[in-house]
Amino acid sequence: MSSQDGAMTDLSTKSQRIELKIPSQLLYLGVPDAILMELAGDLPCEQKDIDEISTSVIEACTNAMEHGNGMDVQRQVEVHFDISEDEIAITVLDDGPGFDHEGWIPPEDLLRERGRGITIMREFSDTLRFDFAADGRFRVRLRKRLRRQA
Amino acid sequence: MKVKERTRDGVVILELSGKLMGGPDAATFNDTLKTLLHEGHRNMLIDLSRISWVNSTGLGILISGYSTVKKGGGDLKLLNVSERIESIFMVSKLHTVFISFNDEDEAVRSFA
Repeated sequence: MSSQDGAMTDLSTKSQRIELKIPSQLLYLGVPDAILMELAGDLPCEQKDIDEISTSVIEACTNAMEHGNGMDVQRQVEVHFDISEDEIAITVLDDGPGFDHEGWIPPEDLLRERGRGITIMREFSDTLRFDFAADGRFRVRLRKRLRRQA
Repeated sequence: MKVKERTRDGVVILELSGKLMGGPDAATFNDTLKTLLHEGHRNMLIDLSRISWVNSTGLGILISGYSTVKKGGGDLKLLNVSERIESIFMVSKLHTVFISFNDEDEAVRSFA
């Protein structure tokens, strides 16, 4: 993990980046959550916003590990957190071939055991984009505006 | 995820702790429920107060457990669902499937 700008001293003027690489093992899904929860106390926003973006990131990382990297522990999922007082933007990269996100329709069966990840990411993010990075890795980009604490 | 089991007034209370996220936890949880059904238990209350977060595969574990218990002639309800998890139930419409309680006494009485 590295920080582009060193200590987070002033998030009001520009965003700062944290980069994280985790092996494709479910065990590590708690790491991006822990980072966001640690920051939550220092951001002047509602806890609900942090919970929602963190839930979205966990979904993106779950998909990246399972469908992108095939749970191959040698393959890493890369997560970038761009954090400011007003917004958190997150990028998740994996080595997989991606999927037909435009043609994806949520299954209707309420008792299905799979297929809710994209719905959760869509509902909990202000923008959600799927594409490929310049280096060919599949990329999910999530953005969440942070509401000021009442 | 860890599972701690206790019984109160004929209701089996399973206290889950940690992260609800799929993997080997799915089989562990389902096997626990199947064993309880085999032993004759029908009323299951799942306490989520010590679950820090759940992902979509974790939701699948709860749904699989719900289906297993229903097919076995029992009922499965939830206790102490945090706001964070409740919001995931809302967006995935699972609040229409699971009956949940914040009070253990009330939850146990609901099985009578």
